[in-house]
Amino acid sequence: MKILIVEDNLRLAQDMQQFLADNDFVVEHAATLREAYDRISIYKYDLVIVDLGLPDGDGIELVRRIKEYNAQTGILILTARDAIEDKVKGLNLGADDYMTKPFHKAELNARIHSVLRRNKFNRSNLLQIHEIKVDLLASQAFIHDSPLNLTRKEYDLLLYFMQNPNRVLTKENIAEHLWGDHIDQTDSFDFLYNHIKNLRKKITRAGGKNHIRAMYGMGYKFSANQ
Amino acid sequence: MKKQRSFKLLTKTTSIYLIFTFIAFISSAFFLIRETDKFISKDLESSYGRYEHRLKRYIAEGKPIDRLHTDVQQLPGDAASISQMSPVYSDTVIYNSGVDEMQRFRKKTIFFRVHDAGYRAILLLPVGDFLKLRDDIFGSLIPAFIFLAMGIVLFNYLLSGYFFRPFNRILDIMKTYKVGRGSGIKKIKTNTSEFIRMQDLFHQMIERIEYDYSNLKEYTENMAHEMQTPLTVIFNKTENLIADESVMRKNADNVKIIYEETNYLSKMGNSLNLLTKIENGEFSNAIRIETRPVIEKQVAAVEELARLKSLTIDAALSPEHQIVIDPFLLDIILKNLIRNAISYGTGEGPIRIRTAAGEFTISNYGPPLEVPEEKIFQRFYRNHNSKTSLGLGLSLVKKICELNGLAIDYSYREGQHVFRIKEAV
Repeated sequence: MKILIVEDNLRLAQDMQQFLADNDFVVEHAATLREAYDRISIYKYDLVIVDLGLPDGDGIELVRRIKEYNAQTGILILTARDAIEDKVKGLNLGADDYMTKPFHKAELNARIHSVLRRNKFNRSNLLQIHEIKVDLLASQAFIHDSPLNLTRKEYDLLLYFMQNPNRVLTKENIAEHLWGDHIDQTDSFDFLYNHIKNLRKKITRAGGKNHIRAMYGMGYKFSANQ
Repeated sequence: MKKQRSFKLLTKTTSIYLIFTFIAFISSAFFLIRETDKFISKDLESSYGRYEHRLKRYIAEGKPIDRLHTDVQQLPGDAASISQMSPVYSDTVIYNSGVDEMQRFRKKTIFFRVHDAGYRAILLLPVGDFLKLRDDIFGSLIPAFIFLAMGIVLFNYLLSGYFFRPFNRILDIMKTYKVGRGSGIKKIKTNTSEFIRMQDLFHQMIERIEYDYSNLKEYTENMAHEMQTPLTVIFNKTENLIADESVMRKNADNVKIIYEETNYLSKMGNSLNLLTKIENGEFSNAIRIETRPVIEKQVAAVEELARLKSLTIDAALSPEHQIVIDPFLLDIILKNLIRNAISYGTGEGPIRIRTAAGEFTISNYGPPLEVPEEKIFQRFYRNHNSKTSLGLGLSLVKKICELNGLAIDYSYREGQHVFRIKEAV
C-alpha cells in the first residue's frame, strides 16, 4: 500500500512518515502543491493525505487533480482549518474523509484503514489477532469463531484496539474516537473504564485472553504478542 | 434602567409646530379683539360727539327738554362744577317692542352746562351690530385654527411618507446588513443632505467593519492554523514518548501532564475559534428544521454512555416542533446541553428532553448549583473549579440562541436543573 503525505510542516511530515512506515505502508512526502502535482502525475498512490493550507496554494485544488488522474486513489484531508465549508467542499470534490489537527495517530491509522477498505474491493474485511476475529462488514466480533455479543461502542472499542495493536492508546484518544465531542473528555474516562472492564469480561468469558493492558494511568494497550 | 418613550421626529416637529401655531393664534386673537374694541369705541365716541352737540344746541335754543326722546334732566347746584363731572359709561340691554327682541346699547351719562344751568343726559347708542362683528371675528378664528392644524398634521403625514422614504430604506438596509456581506450594498438615491451624510457615514462604517472583519477572520484562521500545526507536532511527539516504555518508566507523570495540557490547549483553541466564528455570524445557513429526528440521533449517540452512568434519557418529542437555525448550530446546542446533562446528572431520575409548541426543555437531577445562577452562561465559568470541561459550552449555546432569535433560560425546580429554549418574542 502506497501513501503520499502532502504536508508543509517537515517535523510533522517526518513523524507521520515514520508512523505509517511502521504500519507497513510505503510512504512518500511532498511539501508543496507543485511537488504533489509532480508526484501524482507520475506515480500511483492508494491514498493521499492532503493538508489544505500549503505554502503555494490551497490543497482543495489537489483533491480535484487527484480525482482527475486516478479516481481510485483514496483522499484523506488532514488540516488545521476547521471550517465547515472546507469540509463540505473537500468531501464534495471526492475526498473520503476529513480530519482536523491536532490528531491522534491511532485515529489516523483507523481512518486510513477504513478509507482503503472502502476503496479496494479485494481487501479483506476480516481482521484477526490470535483468537479474536472481527468481521468489518457485519460489524461482528468472534472469539475462537464463536460470535461475541458486544454493544455498539464495545465493538467500536475492540476494533480500534485491533487496528492499533501494541500501541498505547490514551484515554483522550479512545474517548474522542468513541464519542467525539458528545461528552466532556475527563467525564468520559469513567465510562471508558467501564466499557473496557465489560469488554475484557466478555472476551475472557468467551474463552479469549485478556489482551488489553492499562498503561501508566494514561491509557491502554492491546497486546498482540502471545 | 427605565426605557424612555420615543417619538417620531416628524410627530415631534408637528406637535411643536402646532403648539406654536396655537400660541400665535391666541395672541393674534387678543390683538384683533383689542383693535376691534378700539375701533368700536372710536366710532361710538364720534357718534356721541355729534349727539351731544345736537343736544346742547337744542337746549341752548331754549326748547323744552321734556319733548326730547333723550333722558335729560336739569340738575340743581353749581353748573360749573356739574360740567366738570366725568361721563359714565355702561352697557345695557333694552327691550325693543318694535322688533320684539332685547337689544344691546352703550349708555353714556354726561354732565354739561348750557348757559348757567347744569344738566345730566343719558345717551343711548345701539352697539349690537358692533358686538356681533367682534364675536364673528373671534368666532371665525377657532375654525380657522382647527382647519390649519388639521392641514399641518395631514401635510406632515403625507410628507413624511415622501421625504422619509429614502431614510426608511436606508434603515432597512442597515437592519438587514450582516457582517461579512458588506460588499455590494446598494445606495439609496436621495437629495436630502442629512440622509446623504448618514448614508455616506454608514457606508464608511461598513467599509471599516468589513475591513476589520476580514482581518479578524484572517487572523483567527491563521491563528488556528499556525497554532494547531505546532500543537500537532507536540501532540504526536508526546504520543511517541508514550509509546516508548523506557521513557514512560521514568517519566510517565511528566509526559502525562504535557499530553493533557496540550490536549486542553488545542481543545480550547478550537472552541474559541468556533465561538468567534459564531459571533461573526459565519453560520448563516438558517433553515426551518424539525427537531425530532435531530434530537433522536443525538440521544442515540450518547444513550449507551448514559447507561454506564446509570442515567436514562427520557425524550418526549413533538413531531411538530421546529426551529429556524443553521443545522450545524442546532447540533452544537443539542450536543452541549445533552453533554451538560450527562456530566452533571445524578441517578435520582432520568434526563428529560421535551419538545412542545415552540419550546424545548432538557432537565437533569442534581444538587443545586454552587455558582450564582446568572453566571452559568458566562465563559470559563465552571461548577467545579477543575479542568473537566472548558467552561465554554453553555456560553456557546447562549450565544447561538441570541444570534438566532431564541431565548434560553435556566431554572432549578424540584431537584432538577432545567434549561428551556423558546422562540424569543
